[in-house]
Amino acid sequence: MSNTHMLSIGFPAILASSVHDIKNSLTALRALVGQLENIYQDPKPTEFRQLEFETNRMNNSLMQLLTLYKIDLSQFSLSVDEHSAADILEDIVAQQSTLLSLGNVQLITECHGDLFCYCDSAMISNALCTLVNNAQRYCKSKVLISASEEDDYIVFCIEDDGKGYPENLMSPDYKQLHQVDLATGNTGLGLFFTETIAQLHVKDDKHGFIVTDNNSQFGGARFKLYLP
Amino acid sequence: MAINLASKKILVVEDQAIMRETIKHILGSFGARFIVEAESGINAITAMRIDKFDIVLCDYNLLRGKNGQQVLEEARHLKLLPVNAIFIMVTCEQSLEMVLSAIDNKPDDYLIKPFNRLQLLNRIERCYSRKTYLTSVENEIDSGNLYKAIYNCEKLLQLDDKKMRMQLLKMYAELALKVGNFKKAEETYQDILHERELPWARLGLGVVAFFLGYYDQAIKTFQDLIEQYPMMLEAYDWLVKTHESMGNDEHAVSSLNSAVTLSPMSILRQKKLALLADKTENLPVAKKAYTATIKLGKNSIHRSSADYAGLANVYLKSNAANEALKILYELNQQFHNDPEAKLRASLLEAEIHQTKGNSALAEQAYGKTVKLNEQFNKQISRELRLEMAKAFYLNGDNETCDEILNDLVRTNIDDKSFIKDIVTLCDAIIGESYAESLIQHIKKELVDINNKGVSLFQEGNIKGALTVFEQAIAKMPSNQTVLLNLIKIIIHDLKTSKTNPEKIISAQAYINKAVQIGIPHNQIGGLQAELDTIQNKSNQ
Repeated sequence: MSNTHMLSIGFPAILASSVHDIKNSLTALRALVGQLENIYQDPKPTEFRQLEFETNRMNNSLMQLLTLYKIDLSQFSLSVDEHSAADILEDIVAQQSTLLSLGNVQLITECHGDLFCYCDSAMISNALCTLVNNAQRYCKSKVLISASEEDDYIVFCIEDDGKGYPENLMSPDYKQLHQVDLATGNTGLGLFFTETIAQLHVKDDKHGFIVTDNNSQFGGARFKLYLP
Repeated sequence: MAINLASKKILVVEDQAIMRETIKHILGSFGARFIVEAESGINAITAMRIDKFDIVLCDYNLLRGKNGQQVLEEARHLKLLPVNAIFIMVTCEQSLEMVLSAIDNKPDDYLIKPFNRLQLLNRIERCYSRKTYLTSVENEIDSGNLYKAIYNCEKLLQLDDKKMRMQLLKMYAELALKVGNFKKAEETYQDILHERELPWARLGLGVVAFFLGYYDQAIKTFQDLIEQYPMMLEAYDWLVKTHESMGNDEHAVSSLNSAVTLSPMSILRQKKLALLADKTENLPVAKKAYTATIKLGKNSIHRSSADYAGLANVYLKSNAANEALKILYELNQQFHNDPEAKLRASLLEAEIHQTKGNSALAEQAYGKTVKLNEQFNKQISRELRLEMAKAFYLNGDNETCDEILNDLVRTNIDDKSFIKDIVTLCDAIIGESYAESLIQHIKKELVDINNKGVSLFQEGNIKGALTVFEQAIAKMPSNQTVLLNLIKIIIHDLKTSKTNPEKIISAQAYINKAVQIGIPHNQIGGLQAELDTIQNKSNQ
């Protein structure tokens, strides 16, 4: 039997079902951790925070992996509709809520209730969640996520009070996936994914894009996602 | 908005015990008291038969038996879910939403695993507040009062709630399409597209073009959408429909084939593909699609003996008579007490034995068919009755064949595509002019009934006219002309005599029926307006 025959059901199907299996395990794992956590009195061991962080990260990476693969195969389309920016921020805060309740990081949101944007809300909140997750890891005590209008764009901004982005993540060309820095585990995949999804959001001849710098009002890293 | 879960009946459908436990724990921490768990689709259906739930959280991937989508379809089909209940599908993957959309029933929302307590609560709250906001519209849709639903939609739009605006506009346009008010639908979609290029609004314009008969324009719209959004299956479904309406079945098969490749789990698409491929003699595709349909049907309300018969017939056509017999055996095994299934099986059995040259067995099977037909003819589907007519004719029983065809033409005279099927069959086996003269004859009969009713009405004999049309509608429940005349007379009666709430209800029911069978807005809209005026007066 040749090797090609073994793959006759197709790599996309194998990838999709693997992701599916891992996600199921991940869900069960989180449920188990949750049950363990209930046994402990406050203050709970900080390891729970780390566990929550890692599972969030695994989950986000898996989603991004699958999505990027589908984009590559042209088997992906955005599901664009009008969404309230406040709802998207609320989704992000909800995803981070367990992590927040365990740590000493303050997550602040700023957004006008009447601000609407046209986007694939599941993709955008997934992309932003990864970045907020990272910001929480690298900040000292504060992360601000905000949404506002700038010219003809809706801008989602994530700022923290940490040390700021390393040099390699501030390149203007996020389309290049940078060399994996094994020492820090910093791959830039989250930024690459967000840039890719942003690019797919189009109005007339305007595309979405991202900007990273260290001009946070709190002195740390600042990330901005522009959607037309 | 904080939703009070204490007063809500909640069903959690999930095969993993640990997940059920966690979800229950979360719901409990938000005050929920009435929580029922089901670890399989069948148990979920049983639970919904016993209790009317306000909230159903259902996992898509249930290990054994029905999946979440099949649970949803069955619950809606059996009307186990109250109109205002929310059904949230829990899935592992975002893209599932698209793959399942369109042809299938949609849940109220999706929730992607894994989720924490706040994510779950947020989803329920948002879904709940949207549902509550739209209650006045959804209740009317549920009872078939589409015009009232449109009116309520307009009222909500006037409140100008920005968060709900798009949702309302989408519903509004869809309702306008449903009652055949294409102008209103087109205006609404154009307005939205003027603000922003949204795929569903663009699709809506294509649908309007389809209904107005601008097929080329519709096709272009759907093809452009597919190119831009390769996973937009609704665009495929409409493209297929348009090709079909143009009589271009081969194109329809090829578009549908692409859609099925993208969504192999959608039983209705597989079924449709099987039928279309069968019709165009594309036997390999038909075989594959029937087989898939049968497999997917095992846990679905869309399971049908017709799929087995279809597959057996494809085998027969591909000179594999023994394979065909095997499928028939399976058919008989799967559908014990189903007369339609028995009829299909014996009908095909006769044909198979005939093909194999075994005339004694063929005769025996035909005898069984005749007997079953006597018992059940009126209860079986029209497609099967048409096949029965063919079998009777081929076996020399012209009288029974005539009888069935007469009845089929009479009850379906307004259904162009089914009448076309009848004509095609008659032309092929009986002769060119047969169907034509049958149709003329029935049309004349109808004209006579209408004339009789109308002249009674003109003589002032309202009661007599009503009787004529009511009798006619009992015999031909989907006849558009009769139905329209009946409604007109009831409304006239209401206008000229004392108001009678019962008559208003009956008129509304007939109008709803008219909308449902596709009488267009330009014929029914005015009557609805008149009835509304009468009703408003009687309420004063």
